[in-house]
Amino acid sequence: MQFDDVHRVEKAKKRAIVNQSEARNRVELFRHLPQYVHGTQLPDLESKFFQLEPIHPSVYKVGLQYLSGEVSGGNGRCIAMLLAFREAIKDYSTPPNKTLSRDLTAKVSSYVSFFIECRPLSISMGNAIRFLKNRIAKLPITLSESEAKASLQSDIDRFINEKIVVADQVIVSHAITKVRDDDVLLTYGSSSVVEMILEHAHELGRKFRVIVVDSRPKLEGQGLLRRLVAKGINCTYTHINAVSYIMHEVTRVFLGASSILSNGTVYSRVGTASVAMVAHAFGIPVLVCCEAYKFHERVQLDSICANELGDPDVISKIPGRADLGDLKNWADNENLQLLNLTYDATPSDYVSMIITDYGMVRYS
Amino acid sequence: MPDMQPLISDFVLKLKRRKVEGSHAVARQTAELLRSVVSQHRMGSTNQAAALADAIHAVGEHLIAANPIELAVGNTVRRVLHIIKEEDISFTAVGIEGLSVTAVSDDECDSGNDDRPTLSAAVLASHARNALRAPSLQTLLDDIPVSTALSHSSSSAGDSDGKSKYTGDKSLKTRKLKHDVIAAIGDLIEEIDTCYDQISEQAVEHIHQNEVILTLGRSRTVKEFLYAAKEKKRSFRVFVAEGAPRYQGHALAKELVEKGIQTTVITDSAVFAMISRVNMVIVGVHAIMANGGVIAPVGMNMVALAAQRHAVPFVVVAGSHKLCPLYPHNPEVLLNELKSPSDLLDFGEFSNCMNFSTQDGTPLLNVANPTFDYVPPKLVSLFITDTGGHSPSYMYRLISEYYSADDLVVRRKSTS
Repeated sequence: MQFDDVHRVEKAKKRAIVNQSEARNRVELFRHLPQYVHGTQLPDLESKFFQLEPIHPSVYKVGLQYLSGEVSGGNGRCIAMLLAFREAIKDYSTPPNKTLSRDLTAKVSSYVSFFIECRPLSISMGNAIRFLKNRIAKLPITLSESEAKASLQSDIDRFINEKIVVADQVIVSHAITKVRDDDVLLTYGSSSVVEMILEHAHELGRKFRVIVVDSRPKLEGQGLLRRLVAKGINCTYTHINAVSYIMHEVTRVFLGASSILSNGTVYSRVGTASVAMVAHAFGIPVLVCCEAYKFHERVQLDSICANELGDPDVISKIPGRADLGDLKNWADNENLQLLNLTYDATPSDYVSMIITDYGMVRYS
Repeated sequence: MPDMQPLISDFVLKLKRRKVEGSHAVARQTAELLRSVVSQHRMGSTNQAAALADAIHAVGEHLIAANPIELAVGNTVRRVLHIIKEEDISFTAVGIEGLSVTAVSDDECDSGNDDRPTLSAAVLASHARNALRAPSLQTLLDDIPVSTALSHSSSSAGDSDGKSKYTGDKSLKTRKLKHDVIAAIGDLIEEIDTCYDQISEQAVEHIHQNEVILTLGRSRTVKEFLYAAKEKKRSFRVFVAEGAPRYQGHALAKELVEKGIQTTVITDSAVFAMISRVNMVIVGVHAIMANGGVIAPVGMNMVALAAQRHAVPFVVVAGSHKLCPLYPHNPEVLLNELKSPSDLLDFGEFSNCMNFSTQDGTPLLNVANPTFDYVPPKLVSLFITDTGGHSPSYMYRLISEYYSADDLVVRRKSTS
């Protein structure tokens, strides 16, 4: 949707379930992306819990999890969404005088717009939704309602199993060949696939150590660090500014991705491009691990045309450093804006190889 | 100089405990301390300049050892040593040219001093000037120690009629040298203070209308630079990267906004994403090394690489007190300081991870928190100093103007 077109935004607001208020002090460059004031939607939605008839409770629950940030990461969000749809389909009954495929498709669309209001879709979720709608459209008319529902549920299970769970195992088996003894592996943020690779390599008894690079505001690397240290893997932790300092010791860089685009650009958590750039400058191979279902035919040259804007308030507040209060009341000053980007686009020449469930692809 | 000792020890302690921070403050205080050292120094009768330089070497050695990472200390000490040499040379050159008239008439008396090398005044003066420059083939081939030649020539000239007049000149010379050196150090202090104004004057040449500027962390030089451009009614926007883990970008953003400059604060991870829409990167640094590379707050190398990738000019603004004559060997390790992990990880939250260790006792969790980054000269487009704009390949010239080659190692010479 075009968020810089005022009329469309007004129309969407009238249909919306979640009450959003647009943020003040928006960055001009990002007027085409939605930016709402955080912190107001969650209590508003919670109060409407018993009134929202058309929204299935499991869908509602997942929407709230997205809003609060409890469920994050491409795979996690996709699986949560598909399981919610599965529940919704299980409890679904066709209203009289309506065909199952059309009505169910409309229902799924309404759930999707609810999810979008909670948090813009990730590319993995978009692909999964397209798959589901495709399956609904292809249902033979001869099937009864219960058979159709069972078929759809098994389709969803199969999707999750084939495209995510087994795909991850295949990726891990491919990537294990790239982890040798005495390697120093660097990873950025917290990617579920990279975590699996590291844990599996450690189980196999390879001797390596890991450098976890983290950045504000999400600080996802701390969770990964905790889990790796609990498994007994030797870890170093640092922040993204120190990546030039630490890159001297590194032998391989493993990165996760939210999506790989048609022109080879890797669309991933903001900061990935910087890490890949510094690794490339030091001549260190960068391996991106991404399941095939996350690929998208879109092309993107920079990180500005399509992105997600997060909550700007988290930039002004630094946890654990109460003395740094320079940006309190930043919204009062119209000259000051805070920008919290969620994704960025890594150019293809920084990546040495992509590891997917279809194999390992070298970039030329 | 017993009465200088408490002042020196006090300053050394402040440097050791990092109580005085920032190149400007450090350079200024070092220069003031050295000026007091010079004024307290008792000038001997011969070789005043060498003795004075030796005293400065002794003090400077302590100061540099107190905080080796703070390169401004060493820079100022070397500047003062160069000043002493310069003042001595220029004073003696004037004296020699003045005495050359009397020396000619005393050739008969000097014929008895064949064992000493007798040189004409003009050659001596040119030798002296050459000594100030970097060693060249000419100076290497004529390997006469200039200071001894000067003292010999002045003492041999004193054997003539003008002897009484010359001894009178000597005590005048003592006072004059000290006075000149103190005046020159005063000029140095003023230069350190006014560097911001001189750099800011050049702001209008570089910032035109509707510019987008990116900076990282907080530098006072950059702040003054942008203020000056704003005064001259140039319209521009600034992206400030916050500069973890000190987050000084927040303070700079607040200061810029107070002057009405459109500012956006971004996280350091978003630098690559935003730099495609940026016209110019302007940063302040900790020190400029002899090869044109810079020691800058951590994260700057990432910004410089991103700027190079997007063909965005990377401009460094720095006062001349940050110019260091040393060559950076392995700067990530030798010219860096690792700070406490508590900036990155909360000790309370991670205390259960910190206790883990492997069989050989190495801890499972390390944290790296470096303070500085090294940016190689090929990534820097322009240096703006108080003397104007220069390219990185030109920095060696500035260094030969401000420093002399013998002073690279500041060490007290063994007293004979």
